[in-house]
Amino acid sequence: MTETPPIPALHLAGLVKTFGQKVAVGGVDLIVPPGSFYGLVGPNGAGKTTTLSMATGLLRPDAGNAWVHGVNVWAEPQRAKAMIGNLADGVRLFDRLTGEQLLTYTAMMFSVPREEISQRVSDLLDLMDLRAAAGTIVADYSAGMTKKVALACALVHAPRLLVLDEPFESVDPVSAANIEDVLRSYTASGGTVIVSSHSMDLVQRMCDHVAVIAAGRVLAAGTVDEVRGEQSLQDRFVALVGGRHTSEGPQWLRQS
Amino acid sequence: MVATVLKLRYRVLGNTLARRPWQLVGFCFGILWALSILGIVISAMAATGALSGLETVRPIAAIGGSALLLGWVIGPLLVAGIDTTVDAEKLAPFPLSRSQVMTILTATGLTGIPGIATSLAALASVVMWLRWPVAVVAAVPCAVIAVLTCVLATRLSSTMSTGLGGNRRGRELIGTVLLIVIIFAGPIITGVLALVSGAGNIGEQVLRVGTVLGWTPLGAAWAVPGDLAAGQYGTAALKLLIALATPELLWFGWGRALDRATVSPPRQTARTVRAGALGLFGVMPTGGVGATWARSLTGWLRDPRYLRQLIIVPLFPLVFAFTGGIQGFLFPLSALLSAFILCFVGYTDVSYDGTAFASVLSSPIRGQEDRWGRVLGAATVGVPLIIVIAVVTTAISGTLERLPAVLGASLGLLLVGYGVTAVSSALIVTPVAAPGDSPFKTVPGQTFVSGLLVFVVMAACGVLGAPALGVSLTAFGSGNVLLGWIGLAVGLVVGAGVIVAGVVLGGRTIEQTGPDLLVRIKAFPVG
Repeated sequence: MTETPPIPALHLAGLVKTFGQKVAVGGVDLIVPPGSFYGLVGPNGAGKTTTLSMATGLLRPDAGNAWVHGVNVWAEPQRAKAMIGNLADGVRLFDRLTGEQLLTYTAMMFSVPREEISQRVSDLLDLMDLRAAAGTIVADYSAGMTKKVALACALVHAPRLLVLDEPFESVDPVSAANIEDVLRSYTASGGTVIVSSHSMDLVQRMCDHVAVIAAGRVLAAGTVDEVRGEQSLQDRFVALVGGRHTSEGPQWLRQS
Repeated sequence: MVATVLKLRYRVLGNTLARRPWQLVGFCFGILWALSILGIVISAMAATGALSGLETVRPIAAIGGSALLLGWVIGPLLVAGIDTTVDAEKLAPFPLSRSQVMTILTATGLTGIPGIATSLAALASVVMWLRWPVAVVAAVPCAVIAVLTCVLATRLSSTMSTGLGGNRRGRELIGTVLLIVIIFAGPIITGVLALVSGAGNIGEQVLRVGTVLGWTPLGAAWAVPGDLAAGQYGTAALKLLIALATPELLWFGWGRALDRATVSPPRQTARTVRAGALGLFGVMPTGGVGATWARSLTGWLRDPRYLRQLIIVPLFPLVFAFTGGIQGFLFPLSALLSAFILCFVGYTDVSYDGTAFASVLSSPIRGQEDRWGRVLGAATVGVPLIIVIAVVTTAISGTLERLPAVLGASLGLLLVGYGVTAVSSALIVTPVAAPGDSPFKTVPGQTFVSGLLVFVVMAACGVLGAPALGVSLTAFGSGNVLLGWIGLAVGLVVGAGVIVAGVVLGGRTIEQTGPDLLVRIKAFPVG
């Protein structure tokens, strides 16, 4: 008798997306175990955002399926989305609202009970160091503050799965460290995080699992130690993806 | 430098048209339209020149020229939108002096379709003067001055009203004031005419206005040839001076406006409210409907893109009162016309979300909840507004007995409109100005077809609203009070039915189309 593996927090099977002639994602399979801190790394244009969009119900796949804790995202989107906290990249927020209004609005969209909303919003404002900017409209936030408020929106309904696309882009190091702590204790308590990033150091430091994705395919996936072997994650990544060239840059760019 | 930018501009146009066949169709229609207008204008000018005496041609030239200039200033703000393919903001990163930027922008203005059409029309205006050779010689340089004035004036006004110009508040203010001025243009012109008129009929008044305009920067360039033809060399010289000074002044003013704009770029002021001020989000019940309702209503009350539609509405009664008097037939029907404007404002409501629609899509709300929230948001503003207009206008005109009929027609149309747009906005997205941008800014990618879809939506509103409109308007015409109440009942019942059907259908639709709408919104060129 074999032990049945736990239902994955996120299960992607054969996801395909083509835009015209270009294959953005060409058959991605991924299993994210519950309670894991999963890193998704890949060069620019690898298909990370496209994959995550299909996993969270924002982009309809041409083929394949995605399940969140066993719920099919494309068959029962409402049930699946209620479990996901999503920080999407490259989309605006309703940025005419103040930070506090935006958080309250998001909580309402997820039917958080009214009596809990203000406490949660208040905690998140402290967590993200956004207390002073609570009454400022989000359009007037800096890039880092916008990222933080979007991250807070992803957390406000206490999701079981957090999908974070480039969460630390332009976030200051102090805030990033604070957020890291929160995410760590979140996974320790059974929550699952999948995070896409360009920063290998960050992934090696924070994540216990990693998938390397390039040209729309998963090149390697597993625990961080499995994937990197004896090398650093950075070197392993370059070896997998290729494209590193040693050069001093063009002659005309050199200043002396 | 100028040539490079011009080439680039046509390359952008070419690429856009090549990628969007329907836009190419729209573009071709645009050219045909410009050509036909050009043909009509030139033949009209030729006829005037051949058939009328100098005393008629002179004021007509001045009036036509002034109208052209006004069209250049106002048209882009209200109708066509401001072409932002090449603007000062996009040229800012390049090492260009201010006057180089201005030269480039003037050149692109001259070589756009409106610029070419205007240049052709202005040069063709020579045909008016064929019988007076000295005027023909003068008309050509004067036409050049006039066209240049048009382009510079439109650049100045767009710098002041969009993009870099001033702060957001200022831009919104300018836009609103302009709108009001336009709406009152009719009454104002009537008033001015009445002032000018000492003497009799409209024709003479018009000629008088033309003569006056010839002395203003608006029409001076167009008055010079006529003065020469009449042998009034002194006044011709003076008017030429005015005509030459105008573009100089516009250039100077535009330069100042650009300078001010770069010193104080938009979004300088952070508006901060007291922490804890949740606005509507503290009031509405939690859940998808409440959240969407609060967001939508906040948009209707604060977002200039919605407000722009709302501001026009209360002006209808005023315009009708001015033109037809409060005893006029149209005045008590103001509510119906206001409802007509309001009923399809939200026909591409999702477009106004922009890519923020992704956050709606990320949430677990059902399509119906989203639809209800949007309908309620629109109705919370629209319904009371229409009722107030109906009550006030019927009360003022002393036709309160027709109030039920007026309400029946206008609410009937409005509610049906909410139902129709609940479906249409699940199917259609069009490029719109981004939140916070000037609502007057044109957005690349607005296609001929998406323009036509407005008429489809209007037609659907008309068909579904027909029962209420039919009964209510009959009641209004006949003054039958009972029939008026029936009309109101029909309007409310049919309207409620259409809303429910629209929400159910639209809700089901958007659950299917949501991700595709987001893909389309993301693909829109950023303005």
